[in-house]
Amino acid sequence: MSETTVSLKEQSKKSSSSLFRKNVRKFMNNKLAIIGLLVVVLMTAACIIGAVAGLDYASPDLRALKELPGGDHIFGTDTIGRDLFSRVLYGGCYSIFIGVFCAVMSSVIGAVLGAVAGYMGGKTDAFIVRLSELFQAFPQLVLVMMLVAISQKRGLGNLLVIFVITGWMTTFRMVRNEFLSLKGETYIKVCEAFGMGSGKIMFGQILPNVVSPIIVSTTTNVAFFILQEAALSFIGLGVADSTPTWGNILNAAKSISVVTNQWWIWLFPGLAITLFVLAINFLGDGLRDVLDAKQQ
Amino acid sequence: MTMTMDTKEIILDVKNLNTSFVSDGKEVRIVKDVSFQVKRAKTLAVVGESGCGKSVTMNSVMRFLGKNSRIKADNIQFNEWKDGAVVEHHLEKIENNNDIKLRKLRGPGMSMVFQDPMSSLNPVYKVGDQVAEGLREHTGMSKAEARTKVLELFKQLGIPDPESRIDNYPHQFSGGMKQRVVIAIAMICNPDLIICDEPTTALDVTIQAQIMDLLKKLQLVFGKSIILITHNMGLVAEMADEVCVMYMGRVVEFGSRKAIFDETMHPYTKALLRSVPVLGLADGQKLETIPGITPNPADLKGGCEFADRCTHCMEACRKQEIPSFEVSEGHMVRCLLFEKKGRAV
Amino acid sequence: MFKYIVKKILMMIPMLLVISFLVYYGLQLTGVDPINFMVSPETLSANADNVEALRESLGLNDPMIVQYFRWLGNCLRGDLGYSFDGTSIGSIIATRLPYTIELAGYSLFISAIIGIGIGIISAIRQNGIIDYVGRVLAVLGQAVPQFLVGIILIQIFAVKLGWFPSANRVSPDAQSVVADAFFHLFLPVLTLTIGMVAVLMRYARNTMLDVLNSDYIKTARSKGIPEWKVYIKHAFRNAMKPVLVILVFRIPMLVGGSVVIESVFSYPGIGLTMTNAITSGDYPIVLVTTLIIAAVMLICSFMVDVLNALLDPRVRLGE
Repeated sequence: MSETTVSLKEQSKKSSSSLFRKNVRKFMNNKLAIIGLLVVVLMTAACIIGAVAGLDYASPDLRALKELPGGDHIFGTDTIGRDLFSRVLYGGCYSIFIGVFCAVMSSVIGAVLGAVAGYMGGKTDAFIVRLSELFQAFPQLVLVMMLVAISQKRGLGNLLVIFVITGWMTTFRMVRNEFLSLKGETYIKVCEAFGMGSGKIMFGQILPNVVSPIIVSTTTNVAFFILQEAALSFIGLGVADSTPTWGNILNAAKSISVVTNQWWIWLFPGLAITLFVLAINFLGDGLRDVLDAKQQ
Repeated sequence: MTMTMDTKEIILDVKNLNTSFVSDGKEVRIVKDVSFQVKRAKTLAVVGESGCGKSVTMNSVMRFLGKNSRIKADNIQFNEWKDGAVVEHHLEKIENNNDIKLRKLRGPGMSMVFQDPMSSLNPVYKVGDQVAEGLREHTGMSKAEARTKVLELFKQLGIPDPESRIDNYPHQFSGGMKQRVVIAIAMICNPDLIICDEPTTALDVTIQAQIMDLLKKLQLVFGKSIILITHNMGLVAEMADEVCVMYMGRVVEFGSRKAIFDETMHPYTKALLRSVPVLGLADGQKLETIPGITPNPADLKGGCEFADRCTHCMEACRKQEIPSFEVSEGHMVRCLLFEKKGRAV
Repeated sequence: MFKYIVKKILMMIPMLLVISFLVYYGLQLTGVDPINFMVSPETLSANADNVEALRESLGLNDPMIVQYFRWLGNCLRGDLGYSFDGTSIGSIIATRLPYTIELAGYSLFISAIIGIGIGIISAIRQNGIIDYVGRVLAVLGQAVPQFLVGIILIQIFAVKLGWFPSANRVSPDAQSVVADAFFHLFLPVLTLTIGMVAVLMRYARNTMLDVLNSDYIKTARSKGIPEWKVYIKHAFRNAMKPVLVILVFRIPMLVGGSVVIESVFSYPGIGLTMTNAITSGDYPIVLVTTLIIAAVMLICSFMVDVLNALLDPRVRLGE
């Protein structure tokens, strides 16, 4: 008896590892996804190395205000003479961190709430669904702005919390729908009949079915939050000015004279955001092709 | 097989049809050198396991395949019976999938009943309008005239309360009733040939019987030719005049129902027949299964496709493409065991 | 159908109440003493008695719940209150809301036509040249931050070419109202449209591809009707439903986008009003603008439901 179980386990291990290998091969065939992955890794690495190397992003060089790219400052300097290259690298650390942290946390919250709502049903479900509708009654940016107005502080921590509590609804809806349709499946009934705890059924039996779409949506959400932060900082409601996120650097471009005369001040951070978001989106599309069973 | 074809007797003649699909830059052959004939006012059953290419064959004839398909054939001849004379149509010569010549045939010449009635009807239009659409397209009838025709057909097809049901939407119909509507769409232009692609697979057993009875009746009363695609040997025994057995994109055996059931030749057909559950199976007699699984069409090497699962497999089977042998009048087998008994075609 | 609509409308009311209360309560939590914005610091320190009187007259000493209901009652009577600098919020909204509606409305309309049109052509001519170009543009359109698009457009069309103004909605010396509106709206509408088109195109294409692969399209072809009828009558009609729903669903994105874009183009709409109010802590304005936007969102989701019902007999006939 135990022997057969072992061999079955072995078998499923083998087949799953061959599935994994097949998926890796499929992913490797997707050139755009590979390029995306490379760009994401390289940019992140460059930003971290820049930050660890302790580049000076904060002290103004008063002799070199609004300096064109080249020489000492490869990206030039901003309106008060700070080196743009080190600012873009530092800003990358903050922006990427904001994107990744918020995407992961909001997926976790969305998945847990979706699992609970979908599996429990009844009043719990109704309450959480109402809650998500309440959040969705606002355009996310407006909701964030309102919360910024309420909290009145423009710190990094504050922004992270606000992004997470306003960003969980899409994952929530996806996970809940999956739970609603899988709850009736026979294998779940079997688990229940065996007396398996509901926590174990929810997270051990049903949730694995939704892991792939969650991974894909988390990836694309990284891009979404980076853009969101940039937009918010651009209009002056993001992280405090002293923190150089990509959006904050771009905030300089609110002045029409900067737009007109100092193209490098907005072009380099703008390119950084665009390139990173583009790469993330390619990566997400590639992952979707590999992981989404419906497309296979 | 005679070279000159009796176009009055034969309604559809397909010779060496090859269909392949291009995916990821590779071309995979799905239908290989398939030839068959359908006789007027008779039923041809095409049988085989899922994935054997039976649906693709018929969709190639009707030209319903997507842009990644490649269709080649020596002959796809449809002999339309029009005003007391036969009009020959050579479908293999038509390039465009939606050529006007093809469109003129779809409906009045030949039509198709699909597998899943649940998804074959457009959810946003009333069933009556969906049935009338083809009729009005081909005859230019007014809405009112078409409606009368549809009502008439609904009655013949046994749809209860047709006057009110005609204005219902598909979601208000049960599966069996939906399939009747699909059949009505196929029938409304009075075609000579109806291709039924597993018309009952998606239905309950009792409904299956009703739909099959209906099709049989249509054939007997209106003299329609029917191609029945199925994997159910029971249905074949009940419905077919001739049978075409397919395996991995090839016709492995073709013959009259009697020939296929009583003088079964090909090892695959034999295996297929042995795996049909029969009521009153003798004690101790086991229902057999065909060993192995159908191979992936992309992985096939040369030789007989069935070789790996065949109990009679010989060395020669793996070395060459197997030709078809005519073992008796109209009974073709694609198997080397019968090399001596018949002549190659 | 009528009952369905009434039910949906009735369901919106408690939602609006809850939202307005939460927003009101939330903004009270900021602890900004509104009195600081009403009188200058000098007068404030000089006569403390007057301040108390002012407080009393503004009702700022009452319990919050009383203030909320008084405010709500006023709103229902059409009195939206006054901003901290004394202007009537009603008049601010009356001039600025139409500007935003103009901006968002034109963008929605234009992007719907272009996005859905290109999306559907891409699906019909899958892997054709339009499909390829469209897909590249869609990917780019979703990756470039919208405000950056705005900046680039300003740089090209306003600064370099000088064809369009880079800011504001009306010029004081305008000859023709229509031409003036066109010139001021062109760049912001273009900016918003680019982002929307990217999303809609992709979605319309995928939906149309799904529909074209469905069985009833095969049934339609089996009737021998011409291909354009298959596309228009059978495919388009079915693809329209999810596309229209996503279109209405995307209005929040449009409104959110216009908040940023109004900032880029110094366009005096609701979004800019709200941004400025948040920066200056003028919470009556924040309150009203947030509520207006929330109300627009609720109306949109109501429209999604109605559209769904109109386009799908399964919903219309009540499943």
